[in-house]
Amino acid sequence: MNKKLFQYYILDKKQKERRIIADEVSFEYAELGLTEEERMVRRFEYLMSLEEPFILEGEEIPFVRTVSNTPEIYTEDEWNELKKKHYIHESGYKSNLCPDYEKVLKKGLLELSENGSDAYKRCVSAVLSLARKYEEEAKRQNRVELALALHQVPAYPARNYYEALLCLRIINFSLWVEGSYQISLGRFDKYLYPYLKKDLSEGKITEEKAYEFLNEFFLSLNKDNDIYPGVQPGDNGQSLMLGGKDKEGKYIFNKVTKMSLRASEDLKLIDPKINIRVDRNTPEEIYTLCTRLTKVGLGFPQYSNDDVVIDGLMKLGYEYDDAVEYVVAACWEFIIPGVAEDVVNIQALSFPKVIDECLHNDLLKSETYEEFKSCVRKEIEKETDENCEVTKNLHFVVCTLLDNLMNYSDGKPKYVNYGMHGVGISTGTDSLTAIEKHIYKDKDVTKEELIKAVDEDYQNNPELLHLLRYRTEKLGNNDAIANENLKFLVDSFGEYLNNIQNDKGGIWRAGTGSAMYYLWYAEGIGASPDGRRKGEPLATNYSVSLFADINPLSLLEAMTYPDLRKVINGGPLTLEFHSSLFNDEEAVKTVGRYVKKFIELGGHQLQLNTVNKERMLDAQAHPEKYPLLIVRIWGWSAYFVELEKAYQDHVIARQEYII
Amino acid sequence: MKGIVFDIKELGVHDGPGLITTIFMKGCPLKCVWCHNPEGQSFTKEIMVRENSCRHCGLCKKECSHPECQPYKRCLYVCPDNLVKEVGKEYEAKELADYILKNRKVLDGVTFSGGEPLSQADFILEVISYLDGLKINIETSGYASNEVFRKVIDRVDNVYMDIKLADEKKHVEYTGVSNKLILENLEYLKSIDKNVTIRTPLIKGITDTKENITAIKELIGNLRHELLPENDMAGVKYHMLNKPYFRENADE
Repeated sequence: MNKKLFQYYILDKKQKERRIIADEVSFEYAELGLTEEERMVRRFEYLMSLEEPFILEGEEIPFVRTVSNTPEIYTEDEWNELKKKHYIHESGYKSNLCPDYEKVLKKGLLELSENGSDAYKRCVSAVLSLARKYEEEAKRQNRVELALALHQVPAYPARNYYEALLCLRIINFSLWVEGSYQISLGRFDKYLYPYLKKDLSEGKITEEKAYEFLNEFFLSLNKDNDIYPGVQPGDNGQSLMLGGKDKEGKYIFNKVTKMSLRASEDLKLIDPKINIRVDRNTPEEIYTLCTRLTKVGLGFPQYSNDDVVIDGLMKLGYEYDDAVEYVVAACWEFIIPGVAEDVVNIQALSFPKVIDECLHNDLLKSETYEEFKSCVRKEIEKETDENCEVTKNLHFVVCTLLDNLMNYSDGKPKYVNYGMHGVGISTGTDSLTAIEKHIYKDKDVTKEELIKAVDEDYQNNPELLHLLRYRTEKLGNNDAIANENLKFLVDSFGEYLNNIQNDKGGIWRAGTGSAMYYLWYAEGIGASPDGRRKGEPLATNYSVSLFADINPLSLLEAMTYPDLRKVINGGPLTLEFHSSLFNDEEAVKTVGRYVKKFIELGGHQLQLNTVNKERMLDAQAHPEKYPLLIVRIWGWSAYFVELEKAYQDHVIARQEYII
Repeated sequence: MKGIVFDIKELGVHDGPGLITTIFMKGCPLKCVWCHNPEGQSFTKEIMVRENSCRHCGLCKKECSHPECQPYKRCLYVCPDNLVKEVGKEYEAKELADYILKNRKVLDGVTFSGGEPLSQADFILEVISYLDGLKINIETSGYASNEVFRKVIDRVDNVYMDIKLADEKKHVEYTGVSNKLILENLEYLKSIDKNVTIRTPLIKGITDTKENITAIKELIGNLRHELLPENDMAGVKYHMLNKPYFRENADE
């Protein structure tokens, strides 16, 4: 690790002092009556021209933002007008996509844009002008090799591993400036390794030097991430995928894979977010290597299961050659680099709300549990339909550079599918289990008593709260009753939504992710029949409830009970292990074996976090002592002390498994 | 037959190789002053209350009609935070085996720990008889008759046995029993071909002396030896059981 760079950019954050603020542009653009594309290109040219080159001594992967904001292209009135006619997703700009990095590295921007639109050529020339400024700065500092590399990329093809990394950094930087966000870094070890392999075989680089470059590339992704926040700081989607099958079915695990795990472990930073693709044949040693990184406590790597994901994507209509290239978007949503413009997080279904509606409207008239379940299924379908309906006539702001770095034929993406999260699945499952068991099986609670208790937030019925909360089967303990209810919810949601078309000609994809809805949706409802009190948050993603006992082995079997190919928009089983669990190499191996079992059983995705509650509580009391304490939130990692308290409290409230 | 268990933990990464479920048998003939599982000492059910987190709502102290609550004068079925728990659950051997086998697909093995699992030897032997195909491990103090010890050890794959103190007088002082039986059983372990690990908890001022460790090393010969750090959190459980903890008495 380059300690000087680490000190400057990470510890001292000196780059912040150099930043300036760009002017408002929307009023001028509105007055001139510019088209959307013209606005985007002009803004890009303007921001890139404001950027000033900055290279520290010894820095080999430069580029750092010196302009801290991205002014809007539309005025507020114009946005409101647009919103009347269109569904606008999040900020309106494109996100959660993955460009075709391979083609950029192979061809360079000049050749790629040769026959492109004027707008595309103007974007490329804005990128190259800034690269030229950096080249001049490098020359001024007598950094001959850096200057030569900057002369080559990103204008021309990367000739070696170093130029490839430098090119990636410039592309990553430029896309952020253009205004798209949460853009994945793709199958990093797959597209980068050929360059390394060639350099190594020709004796042009040593493995140690190659590692230093990669380490610095990782560090470079942390220079500007404080100005790239999503819902919370850290939610920036700089996700990188490792491993996985290639088209021939051969598993990729090369020197870049290993160096990436090592760099993440050495740097201990929130970016890039490390994902790894595995399958039932992945050897135990790879899990051991990954678990060593898990032990560090960054919330990396996140695992995806090729056996389940590729199959699931193909069931949704993706061709094998595309499905096999999948990566994750910002968090865990599966996307296809280059060819897909899927909107993977456009809506979210709330399972607790569905159950709450049915509790109040259908329970009294349902004579059997089967009858009640059919009401739940109908309610899922109704709310799913409502969610689909609001997304009609979606409009995204055109992002010229990003669009052209995709690999669309005739300028059209091959897939335009929409993804819907399924939120609070454990609260939903446990509520169903409580109703099935106490109302219909044991008949020890009456319908009226349950509805009343939920409406009164259990204030007048502490015995019932205790019974439902602590003495009723919970999802995660591998009890048949809870497993079946989980499967019912997965099937009902997946089978219905996956067969709906969106108005762009694509389909819908059901998922098990929660994003921030685990807090937002908890606010919209009162208490729930699983003994959850009003105001208590839901669990994140595909996780057990916050007050369920954690039995890690039972949990593996329980959570893999449904066919998870039906919910392949993504959303991991999320587990928290206390840091003391990993205290020796034997334990690290055992945890690796544990992950392997999850994959073998047909789990789709796993997020395993190492936490330490005492340390987090101390960090709330003394934030100054923990500037670099990292925690995993819902699909990304963040610096604990920079989070809003509600998000901090949720991480603390998650049950950590401790021995 | 029936046995009594005080806890079941999954993924005991230090209780045996691979993915393990650990069964903590309730009851122990030893009374080690530092015992970090004091709820494993008595052979009968008892109440454990996490008073530290109690918000004093008083609900558990109101009279209730559950027969099982009466001896404790506290209701086990009402705490809004689940702080009042009965510890100790009776199982039929087959019932416990079925519970373990629920996770058959992920399980590599089972570890019997305690308390002292050898005090319920016939019960665990019956449980083991239902666990074909799983690796069986035991964590024991070694305090059992030679006959019982051999009977169980011959049925398990990995043995983890404590040798806490080499000196008999000190052993009596700090654990309440002589180490004579334990050392006899140690000889048996040395004579057989089995995967054995001897463990010594390093209790400050009691077992962590140079003489003790040297003497233990001599006693165990070629067997693998692990030294375990003292569990700093042990005191908490004594509070929950409303029992005195030796470290705190020493401070007073």
